[in-house]
Amino acid sequence: MDFLLIHLLNSLLFASVLFLTAGGLSLIYGVMRIVNLAHGNLYAFGAYVTAWAIGGVLAGAPTPLLYLLLPAGAVAAALLGAALEPTLLRPFYKRAEEYQLLVTFGLLMILEDLMRLLWGPYPLSASALWENSGSVTISGNPYPNYNLVVIAIGLVAAVFLWAFVYKTKFGVVLRATSQDMRMASALGIDVNRVYVQAFTLGCFMAGLGGAMIVPRDSAVLGMGVDALVLAFIVVVIGGLGSLEGALAGALIVGVVRELGITFFAEIELAVLYLIAVLVLLARPAGLFGRP
Amino acid sequence: MSVPAAMLQVEGINTYRGPAQILRGVSLRVGAAEAVCLVGRNGAGKTTTIDSIMGLLSVRGGTITFKGEDVTRLPAHRRARMGIGYAPEDTGIFPDLTVAENFQVSEWLSRAETSAAAAEERTFGIFPEVKTFLGRRGLHLSGGQKKMVAIARAMTLSPSILLLDEPLEGLAPLVVTRFIDAVKRIKALGISILIAESSVVNATRVADRLYAIDRGEIIYAGDPRTVFDNEEVMKTIRG
Repeated sequence: MDFLLIHLLNSLLFASVLFLTAGGLSLIYGVMRIVNLAHGNLYAFGAYVTAWAIGGVLAGAPTPLLYLLLPAGAVAAALLGAALEPTLLRPFYKRAEEYQLLVTFGLLMILEDLMRLLWGPYPLSASALWENSGSVTISGNPYPNYNLVVIAIGLVAAVFLWAFVYKTKFGVVLRATSQDMRMASALGIDVNRVYVQAFTLGCFMAGLGGAMIVPRDSAVLGMGVDALVLAFIVVVIGGLGSLEGALAGALIVGVVRELGITFFAEIELAVLYLIAVLVLLARPAGLFGRP
Repeated sequence: MSVPAAMLQVEGINTYRGPAQILRGVSLRVGAAEAVCLVGRNGAGKTTTIDSIMGLLSVRGGTITFKGEDVTRLPAHRRARMGIGYAPEDTGIFPDLTVAENFQVSEWLSRAETSAAAAEERTFGIFPEVKTFLGRRGLHLSGGQKKMVAIARAMTLSPSILLLDEPLEGLAPLVVTRFIDAVKRIKALGISILIAESSVVNATRVADRLYAIDRGEIIYAGDPRTVFDNEEVMKTIRG
C-alpha cells in the first residue's frame, strides 16, 4: 500500500511540473494560435534564474527565505515573455504558420545560447532548498518534503488558473479572444494587449515549472528541449488549447513516467509516444480538444 | 440649408481582400438617429463595406469619419469604444461562452457612470427574451436567438451607431417583422443604424435612406420608395 503511495506521489510530482509547462504552452496556443517551440527554454530559463538566486547569490540563507525566492524564475520568465511577444512574435502573426515556427525555433536556439553565455556549460544546483526541507517517513523509507511542496504548488496553480480563466472577467476576455479574435476586437477588446498578457501568463507557468523542479533536479543545458518534448506529448494527449486537457495529459504522462522509471526504464519515452499515437488515432484533437 | 452633421461619413474608400480590390471608391453617409440600408447582391461588397467601417479590414484609400473624427487608421477596438456597434452576418457569437459571458466581454469597458439598471435596459430592452437563455452556451442557440444576442451584445457598449450585417437573413417571415420592429425601436433610442441587406423589400421596410452597391461601387443613393422606379438599379440588385 505504502509502496503504491510513494509511486502515486512521484506521479503527482511529475504531473505538477508537466501541467505547468504544458498548460502554459496550451494557453498560448489556445489564445494566440502560436506553437511556441521556445516554451521549453522559458521553463529552463526559470530553472536557471531560481538556481542562480537560491544556489548562487543567496546560498546559505535560511530556508524560508529560499522558499520566497523560488518564484524568482517564474517572474523572470514572465518578464522575458512580456518583452519577447510584442517585439519578436507580433510581426509574424499575419504570416503563414511556418514563419512562426521558424521564429520560435530561432528563439529556442537563442535562449539556449543565452543561458550558456550567462551561466556557463555546467549544471547549476539549488539543492540546498531540497536538502533543508527534510523528509517524512513512508513505510520506513524517507520521502522528501520538498516533493510534497511541489505537488501542492502544482495543485494550487491548477485551481488558481481554472478560477482565473473561468471565473474572472479577464478570463471571459481571454476565452472570447481565443474563440474569435476579430469579434473580440469589434467589441472593444485590445487584442494585442490580451496577447501579451496571455503570453506572459504562459511564460510565467513555464518558468514556475522550471523554478519548482530545480531544487530537486538542478538546471542543465538541454533541459528545455526535454521539457518541450514532454509538454508536446501532454498537449497531444489532452488536446492543444485546452487547460483541462493539459491537466489530464499531465496526470497520464506523470503516471506513465513513474511506472516507466520503475518497470520499463528503457522504453519509457517510447511508451509515451505510443500513447500519444493511440490518442491521435482515436481522437485526433486530443482527449479534451475541439476537432 | 446646411446638411446636418453626419454620424458616419465614408468618403471614397478602396478596400482589398488579398490582391483583389473589392471596394472602389465607396462613399456613404449615415445621419444621427437615421436608419440607412446598403442593398446589393451576394458578393457586391456589403460585408466588406461594413468590415471596413468597423476597422476589421484596412482601407487603402479614402477616409472614414465618425462623430466628426477621422477614424480611418484607428484599430477596431478603438472604434468600438468610440461607439460603433457591430453584429456580423455570422453573428460572431462566441460558441464556448454562455450568453451572459458573451455580454460580459465588453461589459468591463462600459462607462462607470451608467447604472446597472441602465446597462440592463440597454442590453435587454430590445429583446427581453434573451434573459431566458442567459446560461446557455453560444453553441446551443438557434439561428434566430444568435441574431438577437448579436444585436443585444452590440448594444452593451452603448453605441452611437450599429452596423448590422444581414440581420434578417435566414429568419422566418414572422420573426423578420419582429426584427424590423426592433430596428425601429433602436432608432427611437437615437442610435444610427447601417444595415447591409440583400432584400430590397426588407430594406424599404426599415430604411430612411438607401444605398445600392454592385461590384464594389455605389450605384444608387436616395429614397427607398423611389428605388423601385429605377429599373436599371432594380435589375442589378435583384440579379
